[in-house]
Amino acid sequence: KAMCSGKLQTGLLVAGYFVYLLVGAAVFQVLERTAEKQEKMAAAQMKEAFLQNFTHLTVAEMEQFMKNLTEAIQNGVYPVGNESQIEDSSWDFSNSFFFAGTVVSTIGYGTLHPKTAGGQIFCVFFALFGIPLNIVFLHRVGKMLSLLCKKLGKFLHEKGMRKKKIKFLTLLFFLATGILVFLCLPSVFFQITEGWSYSEGIYFAFITLSTIGFGDYVVGKQPGRNYFSYYRMLVAIWILFGLAWIALLFNL
Amino acid sequence: LVAYIGYVGLGAGVLQALERPAEVRAAQHLLQQHWELLANHTCLRGAALQRLVEGIVQAYKSGITLQGNTTSLGRWDFSGSFFFSISAITTIGYGNLSPSTVAGRIFCILFALFGIPLNLVLLNEIGQLMLLGVQRCAHRLEEVFHWQKKASLLVKTCALVTGLLLFLLLPPVLFSDKEGWSYEEGFYYSFITLSTIGFGDYVIGMNPDRTYPGWYKNVISLWILFGMAWLALVIKFCINFLE
Repeated sequence: KAMCSGKLQTGLLVAGYFVYLLVGAAVFQVLERTAEKQEKMAAAQMKEAFLQNFTHLTVAEMEQFMKNLTEAIQNGVYPVGNESQIEDSSWDFSNSFFFAGTVVSTIGYGTLHPKTAGGQIFCVFFALFGIPLNIVFLHRVGKMLSLLCKKLGKFLHEKGMRKKKIKFLTLLFFLATGILVFLCLPSVFFQITEGWSYSEGIYFAFITLSTIGFGDYVVGKQPGRNYFSYYRMLVAIWILFGLAWIALLFNL
Repeated sequence: LVAYIGYVGLGAGVLQALERPAEVRAAQHLLQQHWELLANHTCLRGAALQRLVEGIVQAYKSGITLQGNTTSLGRWDFSGSFFFSISAITTIGYGNLSPSTVAGRIFCILFALFGIPLNLVLLNEIGQLMLLGVQRCAHRLEEVFHWQKKASLLVKTCALVTGLLLFLLLPPVLFSDKEGWSYEEGFYYSFITLSTIGFGDYVIGMNPDRTYPGWYKNVISLWILFGMAWLALVIKFCINFLE
């Protein structure tokens, strides 16, 4: 009888999972469809307008140029500006370090990614050992934080609180401080440094710390902004502790 | 902690060495074309071209390619949205498709907030079932052949190899046929997807010049699910080994 209910549970889980996906898909479709249509129309209009202004440029040449441009963009070369941009590399050490971090934490923004076959193969093996290393590391940090938690619990217990209440309070405390420190405050910070709106900041913080990492928002990528030199490092530390906090939440 | 930072730093150094030259070449190539175009059409003033380029970059970032006249399939059709939902709750997060409306983003956060734990629970279940299957095989072998300790090790390596074949080594062959990627690119894509890193530089079913069979995306979704469960088991064993 236990076996039967176990199988039923698994079946329900699988069914629930797919239903969840279907519902999500439908909602996303409804929400995003119209915006996409508008953007497409805008892009087509821009193309039209450009062709009209320069009537001797054949459509074929235009298409070719756009194809080359799209390829370049896909390769991460943004052709805005002139010669001097060749000197600034996306693969300087600081950016490569940040990239390696996104690999090992499995966030994987994708704004920077290896294009050479050698780089890609190295990336695979780097991740194969780096991801367990990352998990072990986060586990340790989570353990240290949970020791802190237990000390707090002990302190409260000596003051005469019941165990259940303590557990509930510590969970609440960590949840609240974590949300403040890792979601709310950084969003305010990003408002200043990146010029994002508050909701964009929260969206970025959530997508990053959950390791989804779409890459539509990434720190330090706005052209024409000056970032103070330890900005990226600061953000990396935030990501690290944010991930450890999430690991801790799972443990509690 | 030192090992962690050292490891990341080492990776950074190697990647930089590997990627820099190719990047420089690509940039130079593009700049060349840029000047060629300007030279061919002397009335094209730099500023107007610049604006066009910026417009194209912007469109690209929102995921729109301006090829041809055809109104290509909307990417937020049901199949695309379904795939997006998967990429969100598995935390792969390719990013080639991402919500641009405020409502879409808020929904995305809530959707992931409940979806990610759901996904973890399901992956755990699948992983346990796989492990159970492997252990049963080991038991059977022990009964039939009267091996003792060898059976367990043999079955475990067998399972590892089949998993490797099924999830990492064979799919690139399918991808090179359907997507036109090289084998190495297919392997890279498979690993990046199953480890949930998900850069989004390679995504299946996104090539407008290719036609995909109806079963393609569904089969891939199943592959992602089981492959992730398998890889999670492998990484768990790696961690036990490290600790």
